[in-house]
Formats: sequence, structure tokens, C-alpha cells
Amino acid sequence: MTTNLAAKAEAVSNGHAVLEPLPADRKIVFEGVSKFYGEVLGVNRVNLEVSPGITSLVGPNGSGKTTLMNLMAGLLRPTTGRISVLGVSPNEPELLFDHVGYCSQFDSFPRGATAREFVEFYLRVHGYSRQRTADMAHAALERVSMTEAADRKIAGFSKGMRQRVRLAQSIAHDPSVLILDEPLNGLDPMARAEIIGLFRRLADAGMHLIISSHILHEVDMMSDSVVLLHNGYIVAEGEVHGVRDEIGEHPIQILVRCDRPQALAARLFEHDHIVEARVHDDRGGLFVKTRRPDEFYLLLNTVIVEQNLAVESVGPVDDDLNAVYQYLITSEGGQH
Amino acid sequence: MAVYEQLYGAYEGVPQSALSRFLVIPRYALRDIFKSKLVTGMFLVCFVYPLIAAILVYLRHNVNAVAILQIDILELIPIDGSFFRTFMQIQGAFAFLLTVLVAPPLISRDLSNNALPLYLSRPLSRTEYVLGKGTVIAAVLSLVTWIPGLLIFFFQASLAGTGWLWRNYWIAGSIFLASAVWIVLLALIALAISAVVRWRVVASGAMLGIFFVPGAMAEIINNLFLTRYGSLVSLWATMNNVWAGLFFLFDRNSGSVQGTVTNPIYDKQLFNIILLEPPLWAAWAVVAAAGLICVWILSRRVRAYEVIK
Amino acid sequence: MSTSPTENEMQQPSLSVHGTGYHGWALWMRQTLAILQLELVKNFWGRRALLLYLIAALPVALVSMLSLLPPDADEMRELGRLSQVFAAIYGGLILRTLIFFGCAWVFMNLFRGEVVDRSLHYYFLSPVRREVLVVGKYLSGLIATIILFGSATAASMLILFYGLLPAEASAYFLSGIGARHLLTYVGVTILACIGYGAVFLIVGLFFRNPIVPALLLYGWEWLNFLLPPGLKKISVIHYLHSLVPVPLSEGPFAVLAEPTPAYLAVPSLFIFTGVIIFLAGLHIRRMEISYAGE
Repeated sequence: MTTNLAAKAEAVSNGHAVLEPLPADRKIVFEGVSKFYGEVLGVNRVNLEVSPGITSLVGPNGSGKTTLMNLMAGLLRPTTGRISVLGVSPNEPELLFDHVGYCSQFDSFPRGATAREFVEFYLRVHGYSRQRTADMAHAALERVSMTEAADRKIAGFSKGMRQRVRLAQSIAHDPSVLILDEPLNGLDPMARAEIIGLFRRLADAGMHLIISSHILHEVDMMSDSVVLLHNGYIVAEGEVHGVRDEIGEHPIQILVRCDRPQALAARLFEHDHIVEARVHDDRGGLFVKTRRPDEFYLLLNTVIVEQNLAVESVGPVDDDLNAVYQYLITSEGGQH
Repeated sequence: MAVYEQLYGAYEGVPQSALSRFLVIPRYALRDIFKSKLVTGMFLVCFVYPLIAAILVYLRHNVNAVAILQIDILELIPIDGSFFRTFMQIQGAFAFLLTVLVAPPLISRDLSNNALPLYLSRPLSRTEYVLGKGTVIAAVLSLVTWIPGLLIFFFQASLAGTGWLWRNYWIAGSIFLASAVWIVLLALIALAISAVVRWRVVASGAMLGIFFVPGAMAEIINNLFLTRYGSLVSLWATMNNVWAGLFFLFDRNSGSVQGTVTNPIYDKQLFNIILLEPPLWAAWAVVAAAGLICVWILSRRVRAYEVIK
Repeated sequence: MSTSPTENEMQQPSLSVHGTGYHGWALWMRQTLAILQLELVKNFWGRRALLLYLIAALPVALVSMLSLLPPDADEMRELGRLSQVFAAIYGGLILRTLIFFGCAWVFMNLFRGEVVDRSLHYYFLSPVRREVLVVGKYLSGLIATIILFGSATAASMLILFYGLLPAEASAYFLSGIGARHLLTYVGVTILACIGYGAVFLIVGLFFRNPIVPALLLYGWEWLNFLLPPGLKKISVIHYLHSLVPVPLSEGPFAVLAEPTPAYLAVPSLFIFTGVIIFLAGLHIRRMEISYAGE
């Protein structure tokens, strides 16, 4: 296979190429997967289908993100259940890793290797020729902006540079599935933006990217879909906003900037779906928690006209992943 | 106006004495060590010989038991310096095996987890850190060497009476000194290896290699060159001479051949040849040199930072 | 819909076709060679190689010393006596101790070393059959130990004979039985590396702390002379002893047993090694990566 994902990504983004939807068997599928470390739960009863694009695994430390990724890559074996990555079992590394790249969290490298040697090292194990290996390694290092430091020893690198080298190693063979465990760790803001851009391009080219993170606003920014994990269980999955919509009972908080928030509050409390109304500290707005935002917006229109309110702005204040996550992992939202 | 919420407060209690501060290391390490079934099993095996030795002492003084068992009292080993030297040799070997299991992770684990800066950023000096780690080994090895040795000594003294104690009181000192030298040497070697090798298993292997390979070398050199000076490359053979010295049993002529013996290498009969053991001071010098090399390695390796070239 | 073949290939990768374009044995050969090359660099130039060089240099240093300072010059200046001396050095030091510990060091490090360095997962994340990884790593250890200990064996013998009997040594090696002895000793060294290598490879794979089994194995091999004939055969040293050209007395306490003839000893070692490598392959197929507690 002679794919060059970067070129493809460019072609797609320029509109020169059109991607066909992938067949169903080209997904990453978890069927009833559980993993126990002795008596300690890793993940439990995971049923999941991952489509192309960027899928983020979100959860606090110990929630099972890395376990799920290691299971996907065959570094761990499930206690029960079945995993299939593009139709291939992780027990067949010889088939799987020609198309899968994994940038793990283990911050370790073979002793004494330079960045270039490290990337070339494992490309050689694929069976590529020396020249091809050198070309592929160079291209991968270029993609992560590491060509200048390519011939320096990794041991002297900063954390961010080591992270980039690992990333280069995982994408060097142009995989179709890229698994990235906390890939933005240690990167400065510029590098983060650059790497997120790279992920976006790869995803647009039809690649599966499975990314774990607990930096939620970045996940929010780059993900096509999210899988929320807590204590080894999947608590929600789907598109970022889709997940939010499905949590019907979770009240959404909206800030209404207006001249007479007390009057607005008094009127709103006549309706059941308003859970809470709190005047902003500067007395220039009202925080409203509602279970039915659509009804609230209709009601607000009416009240504005009735009370002749001067409204400056209206908008949700917690419609991000963090709010969803916080809600889901609390006892009232958690669905274990 | 900036408002600072002061949530962190420095410790205001009484700090532990600087002299005993290093003991925090053995306190936790000892707990960890005995979590291993292998170490616990080995530790228990170490008490088999002291038990046998205690039974021998008991039989020596119990006429009824000797009669019931129909043993000739003259066949029983005399309880003297030689008895306790043998005790030291056997318990010394067990102490070595125990060190191989216990010591290697002590520093190597801290090095591989980059934990040294954490230790040394506390009010704990490098010397105290090494002392703390050494105390772990010393505590474990003491329990299988001089402590049971002295218990058996006093058991014998209680059965044999004050006359025996008066004639042999020096044995107690010898047991303690022989154990102490061995414990210090083992601790220093083990800690030095552990500081050089980040992998505990490699450290255990290196520890075995340091004793077994020179041991084989010493044997070959002695037989090839018809000498006893080859023993100086073997720490075990050297320690045996040190112990012999401490129990006043050292004899430079012990390697000499009275009569005929077959040399395994030259495959020929050797008659009445004189093979002198290296002098006692040479054995002490080897032990001291080995210890100093270890101290030097530890001073180089136990640092709060790492230099990457 | 315009989809170029390359794009289609990317979107629907044919998982049965390897990216390199090679398949089956051809691919495995390429991958084995790649692993071999990479591991040989580590075995010869890594920091852990220093100890190996030191171990291999010991007999050479010893015979050099013996050649320079023979204890009994007249006795030593006889070919038969020198053969006996070398047999003792080989059996007592090189075979039983140095090759044993050298192989333990190299072969246990092949996998355990990578676990300690936390770099084994990079191999496991490559599109290579794990059995191929075992074979590649084993061969790299084998080549390293054979080169080092084979050279040490040959160099020791040559230095001993040329140092003490320079005039007779040439005739002994070029036209006498010396060359045959030399080749036999090197051959036994190679077999020792093959046998001990396989044993330590699997010990390193199966045991988190392989020192205890290694120690037990050392004791078993050393005490082989005391074992009854049936048990003697469950050891590597028994077959190797049967092959050395100058047999050594095992001492008055040895339990005598018929040496195994070469036509049985050599295939037995190969079969034993094959079984061990097969078991290692089965084990690694199910191996999980866990760096905790190392």
C-alpha cells in the first residue's frame, strides 16, 4: 500500500478528492469487552463502535482510557469479549499494525537512539528497505516538525519533543487507524495547535483517530465524537453535542444579560422546567437552569415583549464537554 | 485588591531528630520486603541451620537425650570457635542469598523511577539516604547472622556454665565482628550494584556474577599456578580467611599438601607441597578495597540529578 | 464520484496485503533480518555488552598470564600436558561458568531488558509475528555469544599453546590433532550458546525475577556429576561434556555415566532448543505488556 495520508489530506481539504463512506466492517468494534487486572477492574462491559474521524476517550486518571487503547492494540488481552479493528483481531499484530499506529503513553525509548534512528528502527522491523525506511522516517519527522532535531539523542529532548518523536514513529508507516494516548501532553500551545491541525487533516482524509485526553476543551475543539469513561465504564458516547442532547434531564444553564434580571426571574419561576434562576453578581444578568431549553427560548421571547426588557445577550454557559462530563460522573448523572 | 487564599501551611510540628531521620527509609522498605513470598520463604530457610546448631548444643549437654538417641557423645561436634566459624560460613552463605533477593531493588528502583530527587529534596543527605538503604540490608541480615549466633552462644554458655563462658567469651565478639564485616561488605556491594544497574534482576545477576565468576577464577588460578593467592580474587574465599582470623583459626599452611594429592588440572600426583594462604592482612586489604570501591561508586551514582551526554 | 485507486486503497485497506509488498516467508525473513541487525547493535555496542566483553576476556587474560608465568615450565612444555591444562580451563571456567553467565546475561536481557527499558511495546506494535520476534532476538543473542565466546575459546587455546610451545604448536594445529581439538572446542562452545541461550531466553520470558531459576539451574548444572545417570541427561552440561575432546575426571564423588555419543548429543541439543523456542513463541503470542513493578 503506497498511501501518503498527508498528501491525501491536502487533496481532500482542497476539494480535489472525494472520500467514499467506509463499509461497516471497517469500524473498530468492542463487543462486551471487560478487562480485569486480577481483582482490579480495568474496563467493564464495553460495547463500542468507532467510525473514522477523531474519537476522543475522555475520563479522569484510572477511568480505563489507556486500558481500552491497549486492548485495541493487543498489548492487553480482554478478560471477556471481542475486539475487532477494521475487521482484524488485535491478536494478529502482523496484520493489524500495518494499518494501525499507536502513540502510547510510555515515555521511554531504546537507549542511546536519535529521533531518526528511533523512527527508522521500527520501520525496518516492518520489512521496508533501507532507502524506503529513511524516506518514510524523514517524512514522519517533517510532519511533526522534528527534522532539525532528528539526529540528536532522544535522551536530551524535552518532554514535548519526545512526544513528537513518538507521534512521528506512530504515523511513519501511514496507518489507517491512529491510537494516541494523551498525545498533547507536554506540548506548548503552538505545538498543540499544530498537532491538532495535523490530526484534523488526517481525520479528514478518512483515518480513524482515537485520542485519549483529560484536557476537555481540546477534546471539545477537535473531536468528531467522544466516549466518556468513568471507573472503567462507558458513561456516554456519541457526538459532543449529541451526547449533550441525549441527557434530557440534565438542566442546561443559560445566561441572559438584561437590565432587570429580578423581574425576569419572577416571571420565569411560573414555569416547571425552570430549575434555578440566579442573578449575576454584577446585577446585569440572570443565570437560568432549565430542563427544556427550546421551551425556555420561546418563553424568553414572550417575557421580553411583556416586560419590555432590554436584553444584551443570551447564550448557554456550560454547553461544553466539561459540563457534560461533570454531570455524567456525579452520582445523579452516572449510569453504572 | 488581590485576595490570597492561604490554603498551604508549612509543617509546624517538632521535626524528627536529624540523627534518626534516615530510619524512615528502612521503616517502609522492611514492610515491602516481606510482602514477597520468595523473600519470606528464603528468610525462614535461613533459620534451619541455627535450629540444627541449637539442637547440637542441647544434645551436647543432655545426657538423657544422648542416651535415648544412642549417640556417642564423642561423635558430637565440640562447641568451640570452630563450631561458630562453621555457623558463620553457613549463615554467611544464606545471608548472601538473602541479599541477592532483598538488596537489588533498593536503589535501582529509585533510579529507574527518578525518585532520587524526591528523596534528596527533603532534609535527607546522600549519606543518610545510603545509610537508610544500608540499614534495611543490615537489619535483615542481622536477624540471620549475629543475632541467632549470639543466642546460640549464650544458650551454650547457659548449659556449659561460667567456666566455659570465661574461657570462650571472645567468641561472642568474633561472631558479632565476623557478621558485621560480612553485612557491611554485602550491603555496600549490593547497594553499589543497585546504584549502577537500574534493573533489579540484572542487579541480582551481577551480584551473583561478582561472587561466582571470581570464585571459579580463583579455583582455576590456584590449581593452574599451584598457589593459594588466587583466592584473593574471590570475595567469598577472602571472607573465609577473614572469618578464620577472627575466630583465631587462620593458618597460612592450610593449603599445603601432606602426603599425596592429585591435582585436577595437571592430573598428576603432588607430594608434600607447601602452598601458603595469602597473609591475613591481604584478605583484610581486599575486603577494605572492595568496600572503598563500592563507596566511591555510591558517591558517584547517588545524586539528585542525571547528566545526559 | 471520483475516487483514485490510491484513495480507495487508503480508505479500504486490504489487510491481507502487507505494506512492504512482501508476504509469508519472504516477509518473515526480511523482518527477522531487520530484528537481527537491530539487536546485534545492542548486543555489541549497548552498555550491557561491557560485562559480556569482560567475561569473554577473562580466560584469554588467564592463559596469557599462564603463558608468561608458567608455574612449572618443564612440566608445561609438553603437548599432552597442555591439552590437559586447556581441558581443565575450558571445562572448569569457560564452559561451566563464563558461557553460562554470559548466556544468562545476553539471553535474559533480550526480553526482560526491553521490559525494564519499557521499550518492548514498540516491537509489539510492529506488524511482525511475535514468533518472528522471538527467532530474531534469539539469533541475535546467539550470534553475539558465539562470536565472543567462540573467539575467546579459540584465542585461549592458541595463546596457551603458542605461548608455551611455539615450536610444536604450529605442527600441532596445522597437521596434528590440534586443529580438530580446536574446532571441537569451538563447536562445543557454539552448542553451549545454543542450549543455554534457549534456556535463558525462556527463563527471561516466563519469570519476572529470573535470578532464582537461573541460580537453581547453575546449581543443577554444577552438581551434574553427582546426579544419577538418568537425571544427568536432563541438563545441557551432560551433552556438552560428552563432546569435549579431552575428557576430564569429575572427581572421586562423581556418579559415572556413559557419555552420550555425538550423533545423539548434538541432535538432542537441537531438538531441546527447538522445543524451547517453540514454547517461547507460544508464550509470547499471549504476552501482555505490563511495565508495573519492574
